[in-house]
Amino acid sequence: MSDSLARAPYVPVWSSSAIPAAAPEPPAPAPAPRIRIAPAPSPRATRRTRPRMFYAITACAGIAVIFIVKLLLSVAISEGAYETATLETANKNLTRAAQTATESLDRVRSPQYLAANAAALGMVSNTHPVYLRLSDGAVLGQPQRADGSGASSGALVPNSLVTGAPLVTQQPAPGAAPAPTAAGATDTAAAATAATPDPAAPPEPTALPTPVTH
Amino acid sequence: MNQRTTRRRSVFAMIALLALIGVFVVRLVDIQVVRADELNAKSLQARSTTSQILGTRGQIVDANGEVLAQSVLRWDIALSPKKAGEFERDGVTIPLKQTEAELGALVGLSGDAVAKIISDALAADPKSDFAYVVKGVDAATLEKIDKLGIPWVVPQRIASRTYPDGAVAGNLIGFVGSDGKAQAGLERSQQKCLAAKDGEESYQTDAVDGVAIPGSTVQKASAKDGGTLKLTIDSDLQFSVQQILAAQAQATGAAWGTVVVQEVKTGKLVAVADYPTVDPNNVNGTADADRGSRAFQASYEPGSTFKALTAASAMDAGVANPLSQVVAPYRIIFPNGANINDSERHGDEDLTLTGVLIESSNTGMSQIGALMTDDQRYDYYKKFGLGATSEVGFPAEDTGILHKPGTDAWDNQTKYATMFGQGLTTTAVQMASVYQTIANGGVRMPVQLVEGCTAPDGTVSHVPSTQGTRVVSAAAAKSDSDILEMVYQKAWLSKIWNIPGYRIASKTGTAQMPDGNGGYSHGYLVSVAGFAPADDPQYVVSVSLADPVNNNTSAASAPIFRDVMSQVLKKYRVVPSGAPAPDLPADW
Repeated sequence: MSDSLARAPYVPVWSSSAIPAAAPEPPAPAPAPRIRIAPAPSPRATRRTRPRMFYAITACAGIAVIFIVKLLLSVAISEGAYETATLETANKNLTRAAQTATESLDRVRSPQYLAANAAALGMVSNTHPVYLRLSDGAVLGQPQRADGSGASSGALVPNSLVTGAPLVTQQPAPGAAPAPTAAGATDTAAAATAATPDPAAPPEPTALPTPVTH
Repeated sequence: MNQRTTRRRSVFAMIALLALIGVFVVRLVDIQVVRADELNAKSLQARSTTSQILGTRGQIVDANGEVLAQSVLRWDIALSPKKAGEFERDGVTIPLKQTEAELGALVGLSGDAVAKIISDALAADPKSDFAYVVKGVDAATLEKIDKLGIPWVVPQRIASRTYPDGAVAGNLIGFVGSDGKAQAGLERSQQKCLAAKDGEESYQTDAVDGVAIPGSTVQKASAKDGGTLKLTIDSDLQFSVQQILAAQAQATGAAWGTVVVQEVKTGKLVAVADYPTVDPNNVNGTADADRGSRAFQASYEPGSTFKALTAASAMDAGVANPLSQVVAPYRIIFPNGANINDSERHGDEDLTLTGVLIESSNTGMSQIGALMTDDQRYDYYKKFGLGATSEVGFPAEDTGILHKPGTDAWDNQTKYATMFGQGLTTTAVQMASVYQTIANGGVRMPVQLVEGCTAPDGTVSHVPSTQGTRVVSAAAAKSDSDILEMVYQKAWLSKIWNIPGYRIASKTGTAQMPDGNGGYSHGYLVSVAGFAPADDPQYVVSVSLADPVNNNTSAASAPIFRDVMSQVLKKYRVVPSGAPAPDLPADW
């Protein structure tokens, strides 16, 4: 109590008004402000500075951290953008490659190409179907020799995609380089031979390997 | 005084300052509020790039999922004529002439041709910045062109269409023009299923290297891929059938021909061959008139194959049976004045209905057909699907010509001629459907060419109806089938179309072709239609050859029927028949 009175001049206006209010009104509310005010002033003044400093440092550090993180994040994202761009380009190229491969696969699996290859290997179709029943070994139908009467030439049902594709019988032997023939080797100007069509070795319109003359 | 001046000065300064601030505020409001949208758009436009997301047009696949038509990426190669000149590659200066030769070699042009493209464009417009070198190169070529590193050559990506099997089913699939518009066949009629929608996205790019700024991508519209169209066609069988047809058509010098193979129980078309057929990869290689499918689009007078229909109708109406007796003379004049004769001179023959079909007698058939009323017959024709397009809805599909009794077009001669397939026209598909009805116990199944359309999200649409309709009674259909088996065994072509081990029902036709002026020409349309195995019908094969100049009889079409039918039986592993066919007498 005496301590509080002694320090009264330092206390702001509202606290001095609170003290006189205590005298005329002794009931409950009076002691409460005193207790609050009394210990406050002297330590508060010293304590206040420290928390402020601490908060300021924390805030500044926080902002700095946020800036640094933001900077790093930006760097990472823009790194990512370049990586994305590179991968997208790679993806595009691979898609193209896949498409090229699929297209050439579709070409060689077309019925025209298969039939032409089968015919080149000497296969003929038999128009007389016969079945052997496995359960009792019965022969169903009347077996007859294949006479190859069915149409076999692949040119009847055109497919411009397989034009010029070498047949299986025309493929160069494995290991043998698809080198130019003797005639082509002596001819230094390869373009010249391509310009004048040679019936024996027609120029390839596609990127397929040149058939070896047989 | 001094104080006043000072005050005035500060007032001036204040006013000036306020005015200046006012100007700034007005400007600020103008930029930030009034013209904000316009300016924002402008700035975005300067930094942003809009690119198209290509939607992929749907595939067309056969019954087994084999791809018949698909979309691929192609590139149009363009160059800037005004910028064309020498450039530096890896520190070496490449002269224009060498560049032209290198570029030309990759796209199949000579160096001079490339030079001409450049000089022509510059002659037309000295500031020309764009000229096509070649259109539609594939990825492999594009890569090679990229490697040349020519700064004034620009590839442009386009969506293109490729048909891996070439002319196999080219008549049905049709083709897509270079502008991406479907022009014929199923490509056109199924546009709704196949069509894709392109999307669009925009993003902001780095000014230096054009890399997209992260998070700046705005998708304005998403791309929508087309659906996959599945056909009932089997591409392997289709190929064989086209091959067989083309070989015989060429051997007999036919103008055109069609073969239709239909599944009896379902009405599915498993092969529809046309000769000639377009290769959709090379549309210009085929004459304009041959680019469609005559099987759907051209009707003709079917001739004697039609007698099977008249016989089935008469038996269903209860006015005839396989043993009904008629006397068939060479020529017969009916009370209404109609004059009918057979193709070859002969004396009066005592034929059963079976015999009438074996001998293919017009006079005999007209007498049996006349036991029905005109309206009765007309109703049967309609129920068999004549005079209307099939359920397929092929582009420009022909309905055929079917006159109504009582109209002027249905004259006295037509009344009888229609009983043996003259005086009305049908398409090859309609004829196949007639035989399908007879083979299927008198129940006609809707003709199917498309199995369905599968959207990218997996939903299936365009599924055709499978609801059959009864046309004639099962007994009438069975009797008709028995008669046709006798025709197969005993008609004059029996040696030619024989497939040992199988019971087959078939009938030939040799119809006069119109000359285009209301009369008949010297050309014939020769045909064979039939089904196998007759004891449990599985497949209908209907063959037509128009004007085979080297062999003007149905003997020209019989080998096609035999080869196609045996291929079909082999393909679908149809077991040979056990019991022999019931024998029916041909005469009395």
